[in-house]
Amino acid sequence: MDMFLPYIACLTLALTIYAALRPSPPTVQVGMIAVGVAATGWLLGIVIGSLTSFGELTHGIFFIIFALCAIAAAIRMVTHERPIYCALHFVLVVIATAGLLLMLEAEFMAFALIIVYAGAILITYMFVLMLANQAENPEEPYRKTNYDRVPREPAAAVTVGFLLLCLISGTVIGGTPDTHNEANTYSQWFVLEKLPAQFETNVQKLAPSFAWPPIIENEKMIQSGMDGAFIVSQDGEVLLLDASVFPTNTQMVGWSLVNDFPVTIELAGVILLMAMFGAAVLARRAIELTERDKRIAILGEDTEETGGDA
Amino acid sequence: MMTSFAPSALAGYLIVSGLLLTIGIIGFLVRRNLIVMFLCTELMFQGAAIAFVAVGRYLLDYSGQVMVIFILTVAAAEAALALALVVLLHRQKDTLDSDAYGELQE
Repeated sequence: MDMFLPYIACLTLALTIYAALRPSPPTVQVGMIAVGVAATGWLLGIVIGSLTSFGELTHGIFFIIFALCAIAAAIRMVTHERPIYCALHFVLVVIATAGLLLMLEAEFMAFALIIVYAGAILITYMFVLMLANQAENPEEPYRKTNYDRVPREPAAAVTVGFLLLCLISGTVIGGTPDTHNEANTYSQWFVLEKLPAQFETNVQKLAPSFAWPPIIENEKMIQSGMDGAFIVSQDGEVLLLDASVFPTNTQMVGWSLVNDFPVTIELAGVILLMAMFGAAVLARRAIELTERDKRIAILGEDTEETGGDA
Repeated sequence: MMTSFAPSALAGYLIVSGLLLTIGIIGFLVRRNLIVMFLCTELMFQGAAIAFVAVGRYLLDYSGQVMVIFILTVAAAEAALALALVVLLHRQKDTLDSDAYGELQE
């Protein structure tokens, strides 16, 4: 029976989404989303087992809060009848996702997500939505359009979603291999070997009396022992390294970006440039200019009436 | 400096990312408003971003976070091009209903 529990939770969630997709009053919608959140919590409870598996209980509680916020806002976004509210619920999903990334110690990406997604991309969507809505029915601004109220083939779509969800949760529950070991944690330190200036500055901050540079053994400055990683100076002083010597999250993301993906970042720049050109070319309006208009545009004045040229 | 991370915690994050992806796909299939359909693809990107960062955190590797930068790039390019297309289509028929453009298939 236990092996079917996650699939029953998935089925409950899928039925809830199906019920929420059908046109109904807002109170019914909110009730459906409450049931959906409960089903999500059940599924997460089955997968995680106990909140203490996050190491700290507060981490687990924050994870549950952000996860449920993200799922509830996502369901409301998909089912809401007004496009503007869909966009606003998507902002809530982005903020909850940023919270999850903070839990994962990805501080830089969390704030970049809020700035770029909630700040830039969503503003573009809001502009286009308001442009289209305004043009559609200027007399009745609060009327809901028919194509926003009636969903297309909700049963088929929810069935596909349910199968995909079962596949994903089955794979995840099937087991993630425990790849963590002590050597893996130590290997993080060796990135400092490639950043000697940074390493020296941070070591001087930690221990001003340490005589730089440390001795090199087996072609490595950093040695690993029972207590953790350490370095040894020329006169035999041993310094145990702690987290303050290690670069911050932002520094490590930048290092990984230019060290591991130098071509990809160039390609990303080219893609953004071409997208900008493409958007400008697609959205412009073709205007027929007469000879006289061109002359005014170039010279800034209308020379024809004065009879200057022919 | 990243410390160890339990496999069951990783499983929780992966379930959330899978749920966001699935809800995005359902929304893309079900909604008939062109702009909301593209918003649902952004929801799928969010799911992918959580999965990348969670697995990167689990393997003590920063490449997962770098991938989120590229997801942001693709999302921004997609938003610019897709919205330009939507504006173009909206000028033709004065509606955002995706069914109204069925004749484009011929």
